[in-house]
Amino acid sequence: MTKVLLKVENVSKSFSQGMGTLNTLLGKQDISRVLEHVNFSVKEGKTLGIVGESGCGKTTLGKAILGLLTIDHGRIFYEDHEVNRMTRRQLRPLRRHMQMIFQDLDAALNPKLRIKYLLKEAIKVHQSGLTSKQVEHRMLELLELVNLNKDKLNQFPFELSGGEKRRVGIARVLAVEPKLIIADEPTSALDVSIQAQVINLLKDLQDSLGLTYVFISHDLSLVELISHDVAVMYQGQIVELGTAEQISQTPKHPYTAMLWSSLGGGNQQLSADFTEMNSQETIDMDVTRESRNCPFVYRCPVYQQQGQPAVCLASEKKISLIEQENGHKVACYFPLHTR
Amino acid sequence: MIAHGEKLRVTNLRTFFYSNQARAFMRAVDGVDFSVPESQTLGIVGESGSGKSISMLSIMGLLSTGPGVISGKAMFKQGEQWINLLPEMDKFTQITYTKNLVSRVDKNEKAWQKAVERILKPVRGKEIAMIFQNPKATFNPFMSVGEQIVEAIRLHTSIKDKKQAREKALDWLDKVQIKDPLRNFHKMAEMMSGGMSQRAMIAMALSAEPSLLIADEPTTGLDATIQSKIVELLAGLRQQYKTTSIVVSHDINVISRLADQVVVMYGGTVVESGPCDQILCKNTEIQHPYTRGLLLSMPNDSSVKAKGHLKVIPGDVLDTLNTPMGCRFYERCTFKTPEISELCQSQQPDLISIVPDHKVRCWLYHNNRSRQDEGCAS
Repeated sequence: MTKVLLKVENVSKSFSQGMGTLNTLLGKQDISRVLEHVNFSVKEGKTLGIVGESGCGKTTLGKAILGLLTIDHGRIFYEDHEVNRMTRRQLRPLRRHMQMIFQDLDAALNPKLRIKYLLKEAIKVHQSGLTSKQVEHRMLELLELVNLNKDKLNQFPFELSGGEKRRVGIARVLAVEPKLIIADEPTSALDVSIQAQVINLLKDLQDSLGLTYVFISHDLSLVELISHDVAVMYQGQIVELGTAEQISQTPKHPYTAMLWSSLGGGNQQLSADFTEMNSQETIDMDVTRESRNCPFVYRCPVYQQQGQPAVCLASEKKISLIEQENGHKVACYFPLHTR
Repeated sequence: MIAHGEKLRVTNLRTFFYSNQARAFMRAVDGVDFSVPESQTLGIVGESGSGKSISMLSIMGLLSTGPGVISGKAMFKQGEQWINLLPEMDKFTQITYTKNLVSRVDKNEKAWQKAVERILKPVRGKEIAMIFQNPKATFNPFMSVGEQIVEAIRLHTSIKDKKQAREKALDWLDKVQIKDPLRNFHKMAEMMSGGMSQRAMIAMALSAEPSLLIADEPTTGLDATIQSKIVELLAGLRQQYKTTSIVVSHDINVISRLADQVVVMYGGTVVESGPCDQILCKNTEIQHPYTRGLLLSMPNDSSVKAKGHLKVIPGDVLDTLNTPMGCRFYERCTFKTPEISELCQSQQPDLISIVPDHKVRCWLYHNNRSRQDEGCAS
């Protein structure tokens, strides 16, 4: 049994919006709950894929794991360290083990520094004792790891193409020899052919270095390809959690099925049924997050099909992930029966 | 020259930009030919920088940086008449060649703009409408969405009365499946969700009842579920109104769901064109190596099941600043063989018909060479 590297327990986070003077005086305050009772764990050397639409809290979750954000409730464990209780100084040595690949290619690299310097800086930050020769050696090693040409070293980030910038970003992350990498939409800004290169690179690195990934993306088919386990998020909650195979072959939550049907992949029979169901309703996203139990209820075709049961809207017990079979968990009162 | 049943025919379109830094021309669009059959949808697919958006902007006369369009013809069928959207190109531009390469372009920009405006002003919006990638940036932020649609209707159609135009606008909002059109009529674009503002954008484009609709990346930046709904909407509207349309996208799924005819672009040239089901299909005999690579690099069912690696097109997207003499895809091609590699490097192949309607730009298909079937490198 491999050991659990990362454990997220019951994590919640909310941001308040519209805190202007007038709103404060009137006692109005908009609180948007970005994460609600999120639970999962990642085993060493495995990949957890987190999939969901924009605004569902994927990135916030990634930042919370790294301790870049304070959370309201819950606990996050990296090995035996409770990340959310640690001070910045205590976190510093841990940062070497946990790294993040950010979504924005250009914002992640200082535009005024040459690639050479960017890499050296990353190598030296956690290993101050290295001689310049060792740093040089390590830099060339990194270049080889990410298949980047040596003559790019003297160039600036803007001279590189998207795929090359992404590689430099990955090399910088690898420089500190992390165990856990959180990849936040690493390919969303890249073309399909380049995307395939980066995905293959990430897979190779996992095989050779034994890395653990949390792979955040909106693309379900991509997540399924790279992940061992998949968590589907909707409006700050995990609505379905299972192995990649379970999620693709027997999705239980209506939202997961909807994602598959919109891609036109996965279980063909199911997605065909679902498209038909789906076409009857056209509710757009702008509904308030309050006054519901299940976050998906306003867009849910099953809810309509079941005759709008009250339990989805309000219930004494909050909806939570319930195990169906073999660790496949789903947060739905009427899970889909497939096969 | 113009076949029966065509709506738009673009021939030898070349759009260059001059880079001061590199002191060279960026050959963004270099000799593009395509035609749009009447009441059908043409899909243009390619990676970023392949020149698909620039070709659209070129024929709409929406480019402002120089030298811009330097040659080409865009014949558009307006009613029963054919008009050239890029009139008398050679009168305004003088191209100097050195060793078959464009070395200098002299263009009377002002006069050219004037001539283009004269032709395009009555066409743009009315005859050819365009949907852009970012709907929120396209709408005026100070006017409600409904008012802008009313404006478009009064400007482009025979309805000049305000009240009637309003009715018509509400009708269009309803047609693009916006719930509660009356309430959304008064909304500003930024108050709407991404999907809804894209719907409103489609409503505005269609409200002028154009005969050609150009959709430039209509689904990029939207969530997967919303994306598929917009595609459904466009497909539905296409069936209902039989509008001729061009859909530009990097997303093969979107193109394969919407298009009848497909043009695949790479590095500013068309590398393959023909019917959608022949081109975007994994098991065809005839296919450009680039198209094949694109299809294989998608995380499709079989690769997911095998948990293997994705197939990859090696290398990077072509930099149009220094295009090679020979085939533009040569560097990344995985089908090149020693016998023809010299030919590939020295001369750009022509876009030739292999079977009727299906054209490929690749040396492998010249002189009836059979392609070596060996799959992409992984």
